[in-house]
Amino acid sequence: MIPVDSLSVALLQTGFVDGLLDFLQPDVLAGVVVRGLAKSAIYIMIAAGLTLIFGLLGVLNFAHGALTMIGAYLGGLVMVLTVANGTGPWTRLALFFVAMTVVFGLLAALGGSIELSLIRPLYDRPPIYQILLTFGLTLVLEELVRIVVQFYGLQPIAKWQQALGTIPVFLETTQSLGPLSVRGLVFFEILLGALSVAGIWGFLTRTRYGLFIRAGSEDSEMAEALGIDVRRVFTVVFALGAGIAGIAGTLLMWDQVWGASVPLAADTLLPAFVVVIIGGLGTFRGTVVGGLVVGLVDATTTWWFQNVVVTWTWLPEVAIFLILVVALIVRPQGIYGVEEVGGH
Amino acid sequence: MAISSATELRQRLETSWPVESIQRQQVYLVVIALLAAYPAVYHLLSQSPLANETVALLPRMETMVGVLYFALFAMSFDFISGYTGYLSFGHAAFYGTGAYTVLLIANGKVPLLPPETPFVATLLIGAVLATVLAVVIGLVSFRLTGVYFAMITLGFTQVMYVFVRDWDYVGSNPRDGIALSGARGFELGVPYVDQLTVALGTLTGDTLTLFGHTLGTTTVSFYAIGVVVLLCYLGMQRIVHSPFGRVMVAIRENEERAEAIGYDTFRYKLGAFAISGFFGGVAGGLLAGFKRSVTPETGFYFLTGGDALLASIIGGFGTLAGPLWGHLFDEVIREFLSKQGQGGGLLPYLREALSEGVLTTELVGGLTVEGFITAALNGHASLYVGVVFVLFVLYVPDGLVGTVRDRLGGPVARRLPERLWGER
Amino acid sequence: MSLLEVDGIETYYGESHILEGVSLSVERGEVVALMGRNGVGKTTTLRSVLQLTPPRSGTVRYDGTDLAGLRTHEVADMGVGWIPEDRRIFSQLTVEENLRVSVPDGSDVADALSVAFETFPILDERRDQPAGTLSGGQQQMLALGRGLVGDNDLLLVDEPSEGLAPQIVADVAEALAATASETTMLLVEQNLPLALDLADRFYVLDNGRVVDDGDADAVSADDERLRRYLSA
Repeated sequence: MIPVDSLSVALLQTGFVDGLLDFLQPDVLAGVVVRGLAKSAIYIMIAAGLTLIFGLLGVLNFAHGALTMIGAYLGGLVMVLTVANGTGPWTRLALFFVAMTVVFGLLAALGGSIELSLIRPLYDRPPIYQILLTFGLTLVLEELVRIVVQFYGLQPIAKWQQALGTIPVFLETTQSLGPLSVRGLVFFEILLGALSVAGIWGFLTRTRYGLFIRAGSEDSEMAEALGIDVRRVFTVVFALGAGIAGIAGTLLMWDQVWGASVPLAADTLLPAFVVVIIGGLGTFRGTVVGGLVVGLVDATTTWWFQNVVVTWTWLPEVAIFLILVVALIVRPQGIYGVEEVGGH
Repeated sequence: MAISSATELRQRLETSWPVESIQRQQVYLVVIALLAAYPAVYHLLSQSPLANETVALLPRMETMVGVLYFALFAMSFDFISGYTGYLSFGHAAFYGTGAYTVLLIANGKVPLLPPETPFVATLLIGAVLATVLAVVIGLVSFRLTGVYFAMITLGFTQVMYVFVRDWDYVGSNPRDGIALSGARGFELGVPYVDQLTVALGTLTGDTLTLFGHTLGTTTVSFYAIGVVVLLCYLGMQRIVHSPFGRVMVAIRENEERAEAIGYDTFRYKLGAFAISGFFGGVAGGLLAGFKRSVTPETGFYFLTGGDALLASIIGGFGTLAGPLWGHLFDEVIREFLSKQGQGGGLLPYLREALSEGVLTTELVGGLTVEGFITAALNGHASLYVGVVFVLFVLYVPDGLVGTVRDRLGGPVARRLPERLWGER
Repeated sequence: MSLLEVDGIETYYGESHILEGVSLSVERGEVVALMGRNGVGKTTTLRSVLQLTPPRSGTVRYDGTDLAGLRTHEVADMGVGWIPEDRRIFSQLTVEENLRVSVPDGSDVADALSVAFETFPILDERRDQPAGTLSGGQQQMLALGRGLVGDNDLLLVDEPSEGLAPQIVADVAEALAATASETTMLLVEQNLPLALDLADRFYVLDNGRVVDDGDADAVSADDERLRRYLSA
């Protein structure tokens, strides 16, 4: 399958060793690590909601990518409406946090209603139906967004340029930190990712509701027998998961690599699945670790593709899926996963 | 064989082998007859006063051909997912393999196989390759169950999708897939025997003249492909109703118990998966044979498998025939609601049927009726299909055929005649 | 009025007819043992009371209220606690978190915890450890502790001694006695001496029906009456 002609082999041999030496230079390595952490941050944010939902409800939410995409567009909408050419960078940043809050609220509401109206009726059925439903939901949501976006004159498959343009100057331009030279956005993504992880972790471990969620994820029947209204927790968790997806989407709206577009739904869904499965479906800790693994591998393979092995254009994307396949063979329950997720 | 009366003659006939066969298979025969009659019916109606309605509502012949081979793909999907309960989210891999094999050979890109290799042979090669692929994927994936199995098969297919999309051996622009030029279509039938083969394709196919009527190229392809699909369906059907098929169902109902009884469920699952891969590959080969082109999206993208899933939900999991009806339903709606110029019927029909006055009526904020129907109906079939899908999952989980089965108390072919004509 | 009144309930798992008309009652302050071979429906009876597996017919009354149609968490809120087979403690949560989760909303958590830690000092020692690291006997204490902390008037206890070594069973028996003195208990237990020792009355279940009942004092573990329906 790999193009094996003598030219490639020669290229490979000379390129590989050189490439390795380049890679191990501290500034290159640091750049890759930092970019990897930023990617990890994004993957973790996208996947966090997915894992919470699966952990508690046992539902693999296929619509998660679509929710992220809606978050991107809504976030973009807020920014485009409030940011003018003359708006200063710090104001823009502040408006971004406003957008994030708005999007969280809207998407949480959407997620909650979806759970109440569409998923709850399927509790008594075999779990396959919940998966099927979220799959159908993704089709519907994507098309709806496509219609609305086209109605307002935007191209659904292209990144929303105007939204991209609302980014503050210091995030868009290259910033230097010691030997590193990356776009400011990279640091911002890492920051936001860290804040999200801290926020979710704090919520899960220090609040009563977080306790309910953790208990219910292990054994929802027992939790119910202890007096917890597990159905309501399901709805809340689905809403939360959707809200977090929305926040992730809002962040992606500013990122050149992703951008707000309808294909964002599929583009975020698949890596999210990989992260969640590698880390262990249903464990938040696993998602964090899984996100770190996938992000760093992604950054590494991207560097290799860009700087060394130019003929293997499919390497970065395939690498992620190969990780998935390997993970499923070696340890299907994921790094932190439990063999049996109780109550499902 | 002395026959003493008319009554005895009738009795002899009724219990004779051909007549009994026909009675047992009457449901199948009716279905086949309906499908076979479609081209004629469509043709007649489109010449009649109902021409506008016909073109608007009924799918074109070209779409119907697509329905046939995709239905085969959907059936192969149901074969594994509906009967063993293992959701194969990566089923598109087999479809793509079949299609790409046929086209790559025809382009001369495969060593040892000249472009002139008969289509029937390349079709089989593609199907066999798909089977091998299924075994490889299955060896790894069947160690897992449920969601994990679905995800790993999806992973494999995505890898193939990305790979094929960037593999420049395929062509100068692999993202566009392969498209074959040339005047002569792929030939389906007994190789090297001219009288028993027909060429496929709307532009490249043969026409056929029977009893003074000339069948167009698309119609000829429709029948030819229909025969292949029918044979495959019968093959899968035979397997499903055999002891092997019963083990498949046992695995779906309670795999632990099946193992406890002594079945090597791994082998059965692998076998079923291989078979489903074979027929999925055939479907892909037929796609290539008719359309003479394939893209990474149509071949390998996971949403292609999603369409099979859709067909199975609407038609009914674990019914084999269900996906055919489900996909037909899906295609009818899609074409009905699709963009103008692609056969889309409802929008132009409404534009003509509704008077000027109604069309320009304003609804809300400057949006006219015409504007509304254009925005809502122009090429947004996926939305309505998705809504139908969700509604089916919620309210008709057994699908169309499945619900009919429930009402009748058993497989339709067996029970419907009993219900209609009484026990025999 | 009995605290718990079960009248002719019939419960199914899918199409399997498990309970074919079970009737029993439990008075306030009592310990009632529910005995029988494996598979006769003892656990199902408890699940039916909790509405985890709601009965298709018959009634369950708790403190006078008909429980039909209620969700399990509502039944739990009314004061019915469940100590299931296999303990089912949350292994990823700490000992303390397991207890916290069981404290009803609005109750004083610190008070409830101190009650549990006094009754089961071992839990206090290990309060910050993940519950999954506890031994079988300790997990049983934790499960009982959850029952205590949950402000329950009726505890449904399912096979507390199962899978535990004999010396641990003695500890568990002590713990059960301590718990029983605070509340009412319906105890499913196959360890006859343990069950009869703790209980005031007993019922025997066979094939989904109650086939015998009586005072626990009036009967000994090797009684012919019981041998007929129970595995030795």
